[in-house]
Amino acid sequence: MADVFIPGSLEEAVGFLTDHPATAMPIAGGTDLLVDTRTGRARPDRLVDLSGLREIGGFELDGELLRLGALARIRSIELDPELGRRATALVEAARVLGSVQIRTMATVGGNLCHGTPSAEMPPALLVHEAVAEITGIGGQYSIPLADFFVAPGRTVLAPGDLLTSVRARVPSSRAGSCYLRQTVRWSMDLAGVGVSASVHVQGGAVSNARVALSAVAPVPMLVAGLEDTVVGTDLAPEVLAEAGRQAAEACSPISDARGTADYRRQVVSVLVPRALRIAWLRATGSWPEGSPAPVNGVWTREQR
Amino acid sequence: MRMGLKINGDDYAREVEPDLTLLSFLRDVLGLTGTKWGCLTGDCGACTVLVEGKPIVSCLQLACQVQGREVTTIEGLETSGGLDEVQAAFVSNGATQCGFCTPGMVMSVEALLRTNPAPDEAEIREALAGNLCRCTGYSKIVDAVLQAAAERHSSTGGSAADVS
Repeated sequence: MADVFIPGSLEEAVGFLTDHPATAMPIAGGTDLLVDTRTGRARPDRLVDLSGLREIGGFELDGELLRLGALARIRSIELDPELGRRATALVEAARVLGSVQIRTMATVGGNLCHGTPSAEMPPALLVHEAVAEITGIGGQYSIPLADFFVAPGRTVLAPGDLLTSVRARVPSSRAGSCYLRQTVRWSMDLAGVGVSASVHVQGGAVSNARVALSAVAPVPMLVAGLEDTVVGTDLAPEVLAEAGRQAAEACSPISDARGTADYRRQVVSVLVPRALRIAWLRATGSWPEGSPAPVNGVWTREQR
Repeated sequence: MRMGLKINGDDYAREVEPDLTLLSFLRDVLGLTGTKWGCLTGDCGACTVLVEGKPIVSCLQLACQVQGREVTTIEGLETSGGLDEVQAAFVSNGATQCGFCTPGMVMSVEALLRTNPAPDEAEIREALAGNLCRCTGYSKIVDAVLQAAAERHSSTGGSAADVS
């Protein structure tokens, strides 16, 4: 049985976690941690309930900058129309995470800190140039989200460290993003492959693009070196195919219940072009506003 | 740990173990057994209740985290001694078979209709993705929700329901 400490402030939470590094764990939405305690994956003696710390909740847009509190609920992201326009990848990732109930409870910080290689938030945030802001006993520091993940289930957080917020860049024009995934079932499933893309357009050509992958490497990853392939182009089919090939080469999937390594590489080479294309259509204003992408980038007969 | 909260409009205060789940609090401490004990991993939705009008799985919610909040369970839906529209539509459409998933299903539907009074079939299926039923095959449940939405919509004069 675990004791629960309810801190009155962020400092109190950090202080308690630092004083009990081996036995205390922070809890927010609880949708991963309480499952882990039942399977024996986590055995905390003490839980530090962060859910009352308003200073790390919610989200706000300030120009091109989005600040997401670690306690921002996935469901509140999913339902925000402004984020739907500006941080489309993030909203598309939010709407396929778990169920309505899980999304109502689960937080951005929890989804990142649990370190699951197939988690939905990381690839979407990576293409929005996210930076993690961390408070610990040594004070505050920030690191690119790309450097936050260390191994499956592990992040850079030291005992006593808390992820407090994530900053992301969400331009209001000439930019688009997208999140697609391959799953066995449409709902209540983890990604076999997750792909997110963002595209910035200037003068009818790509000026900047990012692709991030999940579930195909030990940690969520940005695909390096794609700029040389896509920048300056209008993403013609052969350019998209080359980007897909590069991404498939860059990842290092394992074979498990959600697919073999070979299959996952194939899926990456297919989903990356689709994701880049949808991000491009959004950036150039050719995508119907407010219309989400099909989950795997392909319309079913009924959706057409 | 002393905790107080409002359930179905009534105030409750009890001494509880700090890591007690809301599900155990409802069932074992208060005897409100309409909320079902299912998978305990947040997958089946049988323990769905509303906190401040929003659906959550009570098996993954610590009771102490809803201190001071307002919780609605299946026991709180009866209106003037009768079933509410959603419950009645489940009965008349044969949307319950063994009935174990029904309280959770109904709570998810209540949450859906509060924010989307006239959902289409795709929206209904999405709202119920976190509620598993091993009997009905879901078709009758979708029918029941469509009927409940139509009845509630017409009884409120076609205006949008309270969006909270």
